[in-house]
Amino acid sequence: MTISLNDSQLDALRELANIASGGAAGALSQMLAREVDISVPRALALPIADAVEACGQPEQEVTAVMIGVAGDFGGNVLLLIPPDQSARLCRLLGVEPRTEVGDSALREIGNILGTSYLNGLAAMTGLDLVPCPPLLQIDLVGALVASLMAQVAGEDDLALVLDSELTIAGEHCAIGFMLLPTSGGIDRLLVPLGLGPAVS
Amino acid sequence: MTHARIGEIVVSRNPDEELVALGLGSCIGVAMTDAQAQVAGLVHVMLPDSGGARGPVGKFADTAVPELLTRVLGLGAARSRLRVAIAGGAAMFGSGGQLDIGARNAAAVRDALTAAGLRCHAEETGGTEGRTLRIQVGSGATTVRVAGGTSFDLLPAATGALAERRTA
Repeated sequence: MTISLNDSQLDALRELANIASGGAAGALSQMLAREVDISVPRALALPIADAVEACGQPEQEVTAVMIGVAGDFGGNVLLLIPPDQSARLCRLLGVEPRTEVGDSALREIGNILGTSYLNGLAAMTGLDLVPCPPLLQIDLVGALVASLMAQVAGEDDLALVLDSELTIAGEHCAIGFMLLPTSGGIDRLLVPLGLGPAVS
Repeated sequence: MTHARIGEIVVSRNPDEELVALGLGSCIGVAMTDAQAQVAGLVHVMLPDSGGARGPVGKFADTAVPELLTRVLGLGAARSRLRVAIAGGAAMFGSGGQLDIGARNAAAVRDALTAAGLRCHAEETGGTEGRTLRIQVGSGATTVRVAGGTSFDLLPAATGALAERRTA
């Protein structure tokens, strides 16, 4: 089994990510009552070692909130928040960072972002996408991302990353936001758009 | 400093070189050192079993371990002097059960070492935290740093004339 993605397929995936993360940004904006900007998403199809590095400095410590996806699609939605940013985010929510309540608030942000993102994807593709409860872990970027990729990796050495950055206006607070699909999941997104399959 | 990224094997006989595997989560870093020959090697294993698949040999435990051994021996390391250490294999996000790739990776690496006739001298695996593994080629000193913690020795620097010369 090998994956190969051409430019029009990558463009389509980027557009899916753009619309879905736009919805997620709107949800975060409502929750915080602040303007939330969103960067133009990237759609990267890379060898796994490069894909991990594209997600951040491998040894940087981050707070990660992971939402597994069940239903018609395999993959994970992942939020990566650098430590100073997660503290700022907690203060915006009126909770103390690095406490049980603080972690719970970050998980809830992950839940809201992930669910809005998946709803957006589901609306465009007609897929039944079910978010799993969010899991939070503070660790090294490389360790977190590589472990998630190991869960979804097939024998092929290519990984797809759809990522964008959410910035909270006036707060210098940025959250990395990404979808890491299984190779089967990539096709699940492309086929309803008439652009699949990418896996043969 | 030379990085072993996911699925990569790095070997060196430059005594001033440091070999590093950053951010080992469920992945495993396998270190092989021969301080007398001043040869060391490191592989960053991602998955337990290749199932005969082609792909980077360093990606799978069953293919990575014999290939790393071949390469360090090729650089002049002696099998009888080799010291082996492994680190990683965590269950990130507390994932368990069938999906506990970390535990499966650790088991597969141990099996591959046994199959290659090698003993594992030091091991820092399991848990739920990421790790970084570093090898000083000249001394064979191998250290691990757990996320948010301090470094500790997995394999201490070799003692004796060679090590003293290195620090002189």
